[in-house]
Amino acid sequence: MSVKKMTARRLIASLSAVALATGVVTMGATSGANAAVEKPYTGGTLFYYTHADNFPNLDPTRMYTGRDIALFGSYLMRTLVTYKPAVGPAGTTLVADLATNTGVPTNKAKNWTFTLRPGVTWEDGSAITCADVKYGWSRTFAIDIYQEGPTYPISWLDIPTLDDGSSAYKGPYLKTGQALFDKSITCSADNRTIKFNLKRSVPDFNYYMTYLSAGPVPAKKDTGEKYDLRPFASGPYKIEKNVSGEEMVLVRNTKWSKASDPVRTPYPDEVVFKFGLNEDVRDDIIMNDSIANGVSLDSLQLANNITFFKSTNPKDAARRMNNYDPYVTYLTANNSAGRVDCLEVRKAIFFAINNKALIDLSGGLEFYGDMGDGIVKPLLGADYAPTTGNIHDPNFKIEGNPDYAKTLLAEAKTKCPATYDRATNPDKGLVYIRPDTASSKKTAVLVQAAMEKAGIVLKYQYEAQGTYNAKLEEFKKTSDLFSSGWGPDWANASTVIPELWGEGCCNYTNNKKTPEYTAFIAKVNKALVELDRKKQSAMWKELNQYGMDQYWFVRTVFGKSQQTWGSKVGGVYYWDAQGSFGFGQLYVKY
Amino acid sequence: MKIRKREKMLKYISRRLAYTLFLILFVSITVYFIFDLLPVDPARLICSKQCTPQIVEANRHKLGLDVPVLEQWWRFIQGLFSGRTYGDGEVSFSCPAPAFGYSYSRHECVTTMIGKAFPVTFSLALGAFILWISVGVSLGILAARKKGKFADRASSVFVLVGTSLPTFITGILVVLFIVLQFNLVNPLELGDWANPFTDPFGWLKAFFFPCATLALSYAATYTRFTRSNVIETSSEDYIRTARAKGLSEKVILRKHTLRAALAPIATIAGLDFAGLLGGAIITEGIFGLNGLGKMSITAVLETYDLPVIVATTLIASTFLVVMNLIVDILYAFLDPRVRQS
Repeated sequence: MSVKKMTARRLIASLSAVALATGVVTMGATSGANAAVEKPYTGGTLFYYTHADNFPNLDPTRMYTGRDIALFGSYLMRTLVTYKPAVGPAGTTLVADLATNTGVPTNKAKNWTFTLRPGVTWEDGSAITCADVKYGWSRTFAIDIYQEGPTYPISWLDIPTLDDGSSAYKGPYLKTGQALFDKSITCSADNRTIKFNLKRSVPDFNYYMTYLSAGPVPAKKDTGEKYDLRPFASGPYKIEKNVSGEEMVLVRNTKWSKASDPVRTPYPDEVVFKFGLNEDVRDDIIMNDSIANGVSLDSLQLANNITFFKSTNPKDAARRMNNYDPYVTYLTANNSAGRVDCLEVRKAIFFAINNKALIDLSGGLEFYGDMGDGIVKPLLGADYAPTTGNIHDPNFKIEGNPDYAKTLLAEAKTKCPATYDRATNPDKGLVYIRPDTASSKKTAVLVQAAMEKAGIVLKYQYEAQGTYNAKLEEFKKTSDLFSSGWGPDWANASTVIPELWGEGCCNYTNNKKTPEYTAFIAKVNKALVELDRKKQSAMWKELNQYGMDQYWFVRTVFGKSQQTWGSKVGGVYYWDAQGSFGFGQLYVKY
Repeated sequence: MKIRKREKMLKYISRRLAYTLFLILFVSITVYFIFDLLPVDPARLICSKQCTPQIVEANRHKLGLDVPVLEQWWRFIQGLFSGRTYGDGEVSFSCPAPAFGYSYSRHECVTTMIGKAFPVTFSLALGAFILWISVGVSLGILAARKKGKFADRASSVFVLVGTSLPTFITGILVVLFIVLQFNLVNPLELGDWANPFTDPFGWLKAFFFPCATLALSYAATYTRFTRSNVIETSSEDYIRTARAKGLSEKVILRKHTLRAALAPIATIAGLDFAGLLGGAIITEGIFGLNGLGKMSITAVLETYDLPVIVATTLIASTFLVVMNLIVDILYAFLDPRVRQS
């Protein structure tokens, strides 16, 4: 799945906070990044440009894409805690931002306390207070207005859940259950210390505090739906102009002070976002460096991407970087009853796929990434360990192994004849739903050819790309195979395994009625509340291995993404924690 | 007799106006039903990855999709006359009449979006129209008068090139190899436009190339059409009679030939212009012009923004229907045979 597709709202929502806890593993990123060498310049206008007409959301409560959190967390909005803006593993460390430290857990991490720094202000000079943080958190509960952002507050805060599964608190506008919310987050008398009371232990709670949705919002400036156009700033810049399809202009927030913000270094005088560029025009700008003080927020189109990244011109090399992104793309086999609920058939699909052809279609390993051996990517550091079996199985061949797949199908014939029949009968076949795009259809041809060699029958159904991600929940009932992608919300597999294979949001394919799965879920839930990080990491590794042994996902890819910028942009580096540029450190060279 | 003719004309116009209104209402209700039948759930589209059934239902209510489609349509019609309020309580907000709806992806009333986009589309359509009519008709007349000679053959080449090259090819070639290659426009300012009354040069800079690109294929078609119409009209008996009476070719052309030859062209030109008022999707997209075309295609392909889709569809069809009416009425005034019938 291309990086461009990964910007689909539902998918990418999960991205960004990839932090390496201990025992850092980087995957050999190649980069023209120029962060280290020269002294940064202050002043000038830094341009960003994109094909999109606007950002999906500026309202912090609604913001869920890693790039946007990194971007607007660098320029507009501060949080209690953030990631250190640094190259490599150092950039995955949590540091205090609005708070004086990265949070104090008590009561087995069921309570967390933060204290605001003195001197932190809004763009009008008024102080940022505990009440503002509390109000920011309350907005998540107004699900009738805000649906796009993370809903961890609803899951975690110690507020009862009603019979229909919704929270007893309905947000700051309806105020139903306000007293319950007020007990779950309390402020000290001086309005500087915040205490969060949770319904269960959340050992990685402070990682969520890096999200803008966990940050403050001043109640008197809340304009509801319209806040998405003009959020109130606490960072070094504020919005001067925002017109969809045209541009957004950020100018310096004169009320921000470096003394209260050890994290940010706002070099440009002005930051301008240009929207709505035609894709060919955008690619032309990048390849010809015609806007030298500009940064593309999009990837190049595939053919141009290959041309630019394979260019031997040192000037081009200095304006590009190619890194492992936080995402894992996967092909899921629906093991619900009546679907691909046969391990041998799932394994046959896994071994039959011609991965080499798919990699070549995307420009080669250099741009594609690596074949994955699980849903936990090495970038997650302590929670990752190479699994056994799958791509490490001696029968695995990158170009596909149809003979071994046939052997597995022969086993399936006796062990699970109904599924075998569906998978091999030309009049039936396995339903494979794909997005309706030209590149998807090319992929489909290659997959079809590989399956035919193994004797597996596929029936393709195509879904409009714009609605594909919104229908993943429905595919559970209607498909045997479909693709998607995921990135952790922060550097803990707690935001991966429970979500994709557990009881989280996006487990579309599990056979929940089997005793094996019930046991698996119990282990997942135990890992979620484990306070010993090392023990927790071991549990995630075991669960990752189990899921891959079941071949719940018949293909995973550890993807890469490419970034480009103009020759007069300095301070460029890849921010591992956010899977994007370290936007706050970019400057314009004179 | 004159009064009777006037009465007849007024009755004709009234009937056509009523028909036009009915057609617009029919289009609006059809659009609603079509989108209701599509297998897409907009309530799910704007959900985050942590999407629960409660959130989907809240979305459905927010988007006004939790009522029958006929009621959705009726609310839309009411909004055109009395405005609409969205949300509840202290965070409710309104879109004043004529309210075409609210775009949750752009956070704007659709009427406001149309108000910003329509001048762009109108500028593009008008500029292209002027170009293609002046070039197409002039070349066509020249080709007809110089039939078989160099001018005629040259215009044939122009027709071939103009009708063969689709707009998306011409547009990209113009942008990449003329506009950007020679730094005629800053690529980040492509699509930025100025008010023609306060900054005519800025307006021209923004619209010259898009208008020329859009006009090319139309001009080629109109060249061919005008040429054949003029040649055909020139062979009519009454033209031969005029020639026999000793009138000069220039006078014959101006007073007799063109009037008959250009009448059908006026009809088609009106409809073509009206079609462009709904948005020149490809040209606007290539040149980054934020007109109705770009707005509608973004709403369909990228955001599935239902209120915008409904509004732009309705506006495009209204322009066509109204222009059809205007052209029919004008034609009746231009052509005495139609008036008498």
